[in-house]
Amino acid sequence: MEQQEHKQLIIRNEIAELNRVVTFLEGLEEEWQLPLAIITPINLVLEEALSNVIFYAYEKGSTHEIKIDFTLSANQLDITITDTGKPFDPTRKEDPDIDLPAEERPIGGLGIFLIRKIMNEVSYERVGQENVLRMTKKF
Amino acid sequence: MKISTKSIAQGTLVAIDGRIDTTNYNEFEQAVNQLFEEKVTAIYLDCSKLNYISSSGLRVFLTIQKKMMGTGGKFLLFAMQPTIKEIFDISGFSTIFNIYDTEEAALQN
Repeated sequence: MEQQEHKQLIIRNEIAELNRVVTFLEGLEEEWQLPLAIITPINLVLEEALSNVIFYAYEKGSTHEIKIDFTLSANQLDITITDTGKPFDPTRKEDPDIDLPAEERPIGGLGIFLIRKIMNEVSYERVGQENVLRMTKKF
Repeated sequence: MKISTKSIAQGTLVAIDGRIDTTNYNEFEQAVNQLFEEKVTAIYLDCSKLNYISSSGLRVFLTIQKKMMGTGGKFLLFAMQPTIKEIFDISGFSTIFNIYDTEEAALQN
């Protein structure tokens, strides 16, 4: 059987918690000897996905937990984000038109696009009361 | 993140040291708004120590560009790290912004 390693981080739905994600990733990079070239993109993907959940999934002022699971197998990192917020499927969001000139480019709408561009696979599932976002990065 | 600004003959030189992300992009935005209040006509952004940017930071970049284009001003970026350049490429931002390899090259434009 293929060998796998697993780690989990649980954060609260607060923007300051993104700093804990950065620290956690730095630890993971060292412990799992991840290629340096994927650390910044993975950091970016997590920030985009988690900030969406933090900003939009819950009623303001309520505290919730967001689970982030990391699984390392041969040349592949799988990340699953699980939250109990309102249903939201980021894979169904339309891509922005990146060929527009600056005057016509809308401010925003890039986060989910970046996730899809950086990761090799992105899938979403609503499981009971949970949003489950699974993402795979091959290296 | 550390932001430093310096007046030069051509305009204002801004250097960013560190990360621009969801937790701190407003500091960057405030520093830029301050420059707009001073009616700066050219911003030269030193990206050599910018080591991370997310969509929150990219939004501020786009706002600056739109504003400078609207007033006939200039916004030039230089010395961008490859990982940051890659994010600009993916976002289609590399064609929107004037990005130079070195400070010298930016100042000549």
